[in-house]
Amino acid sequence: MKRRVVLVDDHDLFLAGVRAELGDRVDVVGQAGTVAAAVPLIKELDPDVVLLDVHLPDGSGDAIINQVAPERPGVRFLALSVSDAAEDVIAVIRAGARGYVTKTISGEELAAAIEQVANGDAVFSPRLAGFVLDAFRAGDRVGGDAELDELTPREREVLQLIARGYMYKEIAARLHLSVKTVESHVSNVLRKLQLSTRHELARWATEHRLI
Amino acid sequence: MPLPTFAPSSDERVIAGVCAGIAQTLAVDPTLVRLVFALLALAGGAGIILYLALWAYSRKMSVWVAAVLALVAGSLLLGALGLSDRSVLGIALIAAGLALAWRRGGSFRPDAPLSYGGVALAAVGAVVLLSGGGTSSAVLAPGAVAGALLLIAGPLVWRLALDRDAERTARIRSDERSDVAARVHDSVLQTLALIQRHANEPRRVASLARRQERELRGWLYADQPIGDESASLVAALSAAAGDVEDLHGVRVEIASAGDCPVDGPVGAVVLAAREAMTNAAKFAGVEEIDVYVEVTDEEVSVFVRDRGSGFDRSAVPADRRGLVESIEGRLERAGGRAAVVTTPGGGTEVELHVKRSAS
Repeated sequence: MKRRVVLVDDHDLFLAGVRAELGDRVDVVGQAGTVAAAVPLIKELDPDVVLLDVHLPDGSGDAIINQVAPERPGVRFLALSVSDAAEDVIAVIRAGARGYVTKTISGEELAAAIEQVANGDAVFSPRLAGFVLDAFRAGDRVGGDAELDELTPREREVLQLIARGYMYKEIAARLHLSVKTVESHVSNVLRKLQLSTRHELARWATEHRLI
Repeated sequence: MPLPTFAPSSDERVIAGVCAGIAQTLAVDPTLVRLVFALLALAGGAGIILYLALWAYSRKMSVWVAAVLALVAGSLLLGALGLSDRSVLGIALIAAGLALAWRRGGSFRPDAPLSYGGVALAAVGAVVLLSGGGTSSAVLAPGAVAGALLLIAGPLVWRLALDRDAERTARIRSDERSDVAARVHDSVLQTLALIQRHANEPRRVASLARRQERELRGWLYADQPIGDESASLVAALSAAAGDVEDLHGVRVEIASAGDCPVDGPVGAVVLAAREAMTNAAKFAGVEEIDVYVEVTDEEVSVFVRDRGSGFDRSAVPADRRGLVESIEGRLERAGGRAAVVTTPGGGTEVELHVKRSAS
């Protein structure tokens, strides 16, 4: 069954481009260009996945997630952005988006990412993986919950391969794991990213910007 | 500073419509204004004279008539307040002098021409006031002079300060705008011109757009000066990636964890990475190359990866020195190491590592 998708982006040209690229791989059931328009639309349509621009004219993507998620817990969010200001991306991820991809992604890859997100898996672009590795770098942890504030060596290894441009199945082959195991490692990292109080996350977001 | 003006009201007038006109201008009840004038009229008839002064002013008869009448009204008022005649005369002279100075000079700016007559008149007034009479005026007079000065000069000084502030803000804003304009001209507009010229070469257009995007992103989000490739490792690699994209029509995606300045060994990594990107673009037959930079406290690592044709190292002719010299040899000389992982049909990944210098 095709995934039901809502697009939220204020650039009409980009929306048209995404619709054309996705073609009939997914079922685009609606689109909106503002936070105010998107919230009731998503609640009404109850789609599988919302493709969410980080920046909207009347707010940022995390505002939509915060308003929709309590009522529609089944809706998954995937951030799609040209803006790489880390604080914006991290705000959306920490609000509950299941991943972050850049707008230069191909239609095929985007459709695959939507499928992954709909299945409850996390989608990391190489760029986001690089950021997470930097923020969770070993050695400068102070206090907090050790389980949430540290990546396991395996998670680190998986993230590093994502940053190097490997796809899940390539990572699985290289590390002699199943694709499912790789996916669960990535989901764990996402959970830590969302729940960790590690202050490097905040520090990183203000000092750095994703490149 | 233009004087506020008002027109006498012909609709609601009782005498000449002066009170109604003032009330309209100030947006208050006319009765209130009339009350004020009635009270002032009790003060030695000052209200009546003031009424005439304002009427003259509002009919644009003559500023001088109005001013003289106002002066008389003011003097009557001060007299009614119990000041000696001498004090009243002094204050009137000062007021007249300042009014003259104000009119002539137009303002109290340092470069404005000054009315010496006005200043002299005010000075005479001050002498009359200060040399005059009883104990009450000895206290009142200097205060009155200071008050008058403050009332007249205050708004002008205030206006002057505001003007200067506004000028400064405008100047900063225009500096910023021309800075942005210069950058946009040097980069974005040039790129758009190139894109138009190469409109029927999709690969070239795509690489131009990507290079511009990278530059603009660096400037907007990472404070990297446009065109300055030596700022940091990531900036240098981005620039190298941009060159490879331009030359070979591929896409290079860069991800990074950490960044560092470009010193000797790190410079070798940049050059080797550029060579690896170029090799991937030329021989792998792919459209996209992934580059990952990782900087830890001890080590700098760069990974250049493609999903292309790969190759058999033993089959590479011995005279092809690119890999051996430009990548492996260069890293060895810099005290680092390079590894090339490739199989025919399985893509290629070049790993570059150097220790960070002690500093």
